[in-house]
Amino acid sequence: MTTPGFWASAWLVFQKDLRIEVRTREIVTTAGFFAVLVTVMSSVAFPSSNETAGGALWIPIAFASILALGRTWQRERDDGAMTALLVSPIPRAAIFVGKALGVLAFMLAIEVVLVPLVALFFHIDLLPVLGPLVVMLVLGTVGVAGMGTLFGAMTVRTRARDLMLATVLFPLLSPMLLSGVSGTTRLFQGEAGLAAVRDYIVLLGVFDGVAVIGGIAIFGALVEE
Amino acid sequence: MTITLRQVTKTFGPVRALLGVSMEIRPGEALSVLGANGSGKSTLLSVLGTLAKPTTGTLDHGPLGRTREEVRRVLGWVGHDLLTYADLTGRENVTLAARLHGLDPSTAYAAVAERFELGAFAERAVRTYSRGQRQRIALARALVALPKLLLLDEPTTGLDAKGVAKLGEVVREEVARGAYVVVVTHDAEFARAYGDRSVEMERGRIRN
Repeated sequence: MTTPGFWASAWLVFQKDLRIEVRTREIVTTAGFFAVLVTVMSSVAFPSSNETAGGALWIPIAFASILALGRTWQRERDDGAMTALLVSPIPRAAIFVGKALGVLAFMLAIEVVLVPLVALFFHIDLLPVLGPLVVMLVLGTVGVAGMGTLFGAMTVRTRARDLMLATVLFPLLSPMLLSGVSGTTRLFQGEAGLAAVRDYIVLLGVFDGVAVIGGIAIFGALVEE
Repeated sequence: MTITLRQVTKTFGPVRALLGVSMEIRPGEALSVLGANGSGKSTLLSVLGTLAKPTTGTLDHGPLGRTREEVRRVLGWVGHDLLTYADLTGRENVTLAARLHGLDPSTAYAAVAERFELGAFAERAVRTYSRGQRQRIALARALVALPKLLLLDEPTTGLDAKGVAKLGEVVREEVARGAYVVVVTHDAEFARAYGDRSVEMERGRIRN
């Protein structure tokens, strides 16, 4: 009997979350519906221009991520499932990586619907900016998934966990969200190409590094003594 | 060859859950830990199960390993919660446990499926199970890797007489296999019927 290595363990956790989601469609459906609703409301509330489209894209992503994170950790809490993971011999950091990959996959699935919707409502021509936009969205979502998974683990055992998660997470995500909104707005304003948003991409990359490396380093201490 | 606790204390902020617990747990023996709510039974199980570190004192898992990771390779845990994912099937939950231990899932599942009579119901989501079926899946999940240390936390909660008897049988089979078995329970009758030795906890201490 050889205990699975780090990546194999993370893959098992990710695969398990993916399988549950494919079966229930709870997270992608509910968080996705909420994100679409926020986008539709934004399209009514804000002037339909390339200056507001960046915000209209990232605000629902931020809100939907809270829903997704809350639900993915609630599944670990139900029936004490997390205890079974914790008494298994896999590395704690692999649990973090597996859970974060799950949230990343769910959020990217939501963004696949969200981006064309924002483009439609805010009259954005996606084709010229698609490459750099995808890079920014993936980097931003990695940061949200990494930081959110870490703090989701921290708040899952608290009483007002959903409230706590949003309260703790939003201030921490603000540098990443601001970079995402600013960079996306520049792209939508016609400054196409990676060079136009290089600084924002670097910022998002640094934030991702902090979220992922911090999560790998701290997660074990958060979930066990 | 024993698991040994020496003067183990465990505090959570101002709460003193364990106060100088010393005991030995032998292989091939079922130790029952009795006591009222809040007496420290579950904390003792968490310490034995590597989920909590003693604040002071020492815990030696003996032949099971020196590090937490080594102990977890040979650890089985049955709680009053199922420790499963309700939206996965019984089979998926058990094979996940097998994979987490680095076992071939098909072979490992076949062995426990036969032992715990996991029939067609194991192909349904766990959320649809009766209490008896839930117990069988919980035991199959915990025992799929043939643990050397089996910890049971209030395992008789909600079980009918038949379920309790089946659980008792499993405890005796694990003892016969040479495992270290610790059962935390309120059920003194279960402890008498299926345990080899019992200790009683009161306010974080062993009473006898």
